[in-house]
Amino acid sequence: MLLKLDIVTPYARVYSDTIDTVVLPTKEGEVGILPGHIPLITQVQSGELRITKDGKSIAIVVGDGFAQVIGDRVSVLAQRAIEEEKIDESAVEDALKRAQDALAAAATLNPAEVEHNESIVRYSVAQLGLKRRGK
Amino acid sequence: MASTRDIRRRIKSVKNTRQITKAMELVSASKMKKAQQAALAGRPYANLMADMLASLSTHVGETNHPFLVQRPVKTRGILLVTTDKGLCGPLNANLFKLVMEIKTPTKFYVIGRKGMQFLTRTKRDLVADFPVHDRVPFNEVRSAAELMVKHFTEGSIDTLEVIYPRYKNTLIQEAKVRPILPLPSLKDFISSASYTGGSVRVPHADDREVLFEPDISEVLNSLLPFYVNHQIYQLVLSAKASEQSARMVAMKTAKDNATSLLSELTLKYNKARQAAITQEILEIAAASFTSS
Repeated sequence: MLLKLDIVTPYARVYSDTIDTVVLPTKEGEVGILPGHIPLITQVQSGELRITKDGKSIAIVVGDGFAQVIGDRVSVLAQRAIEEEKIDESAVEDALKRAQDALAAAATLNPAEVEHNESIVRYSVAQLGLKRRGK
Repeated sequence: MASTRDIRRRIKSVKNTRQITKAMELVSASKMKKAQQAALAGRPYANLMADMLASLSTHVGETNHPFLVQRPVKTRGILLVTTDKGLCGPLNANLFKLVMEIKTPTKFYVIGRKGMQFLTRTKRDLVADFPVHDRVPFNEVRSAAELMVKHFTEGSIDTLEVIYPRYKNTLIQEAKVRPILPLPSLKDFISSASYTGGSVRVPHADDREVLFEPDISEVLNSLLPFYVNHQIYQLVLSAKASEQSARMVAMKTAKDNATSLLSELTLKYNKARQAAITQEILEIAAASFTSS
């Protein structure tokens, strides 16, 4: 039996395919999903989502969001998501720097913006971590 | 009869107007396409979120989450979504008509300069206004949504509603009041959540007990505000698509009017010119007739 995985963001459907297993980064730590997993709704945290499909492994970096496992459907609802090969290291570094600068001047920001920038930092760090480990 | 020079001057000015309106039509046509695409791209996301809430709702009993509690309505809280610029036909006027009908005490929050001007002019209780760019970044809408949700939970407003131009198609946008909070009950809320056009897949083949991590109330507590934010975001996207298409239609009408006016004027000009020529020939003929 295979799992059906969907990753959607407000801007696009990033991934939609049948897969063997997936590891989700959640607030409580990583959760591995195999076919026949008990129904689950959980909060996803920025990090690496790892997919195994036909013996190969694919990594996708996701932002904060939610995930739902019902039957053989895994749906991930994330603020952002990007596939490994699409990560542009310099762009990520720029984004990271901008977010950190904004956080450094946090006194003038409202809480929503602080939170937004923190989530960008987490997301960027996760992307860089994935990219650099591969080398 | 107007002199040919006057008519020529008018033709020139009408031509200029036509050129400007034509350019504006093209600009808003391309912006409209982008706005529509943005609204469409958000659909799978909204559907999936509704789907998740559906599976949540079958597992939560009645909770007393503040979003779900019906309170006596003393003050309504309304987010008015208007445009920054004019020249978009009756779009804003229709929204203002809806606002005028509200007689009960209401606090207003507004997106768009036109709405802000209207509310200050009519001296309504304007709490805050938020600038939102054409591209509609999620964050700008979110700060508006979160302020309203904060006031809602604090109790200074008892409802959260959005007045916005609903995008039906390029020609039709209707002004609508859309209640967001309080959510009447999760179930009704789910059925209304399918407004994006997608069907909500409520029945799941899997009837095993759902596991919630960290726990059900925590998931609910973070998913609900998230959903509210996103729903407001979708409405603003729809409003932007409406704005662009309303402007495109208005500009197209203006362009067409200018074109027909132009052809009328050209006809008039040619007639006047011909009359003048005939007159001249007559005069010359008469002159040579008398002298011979």
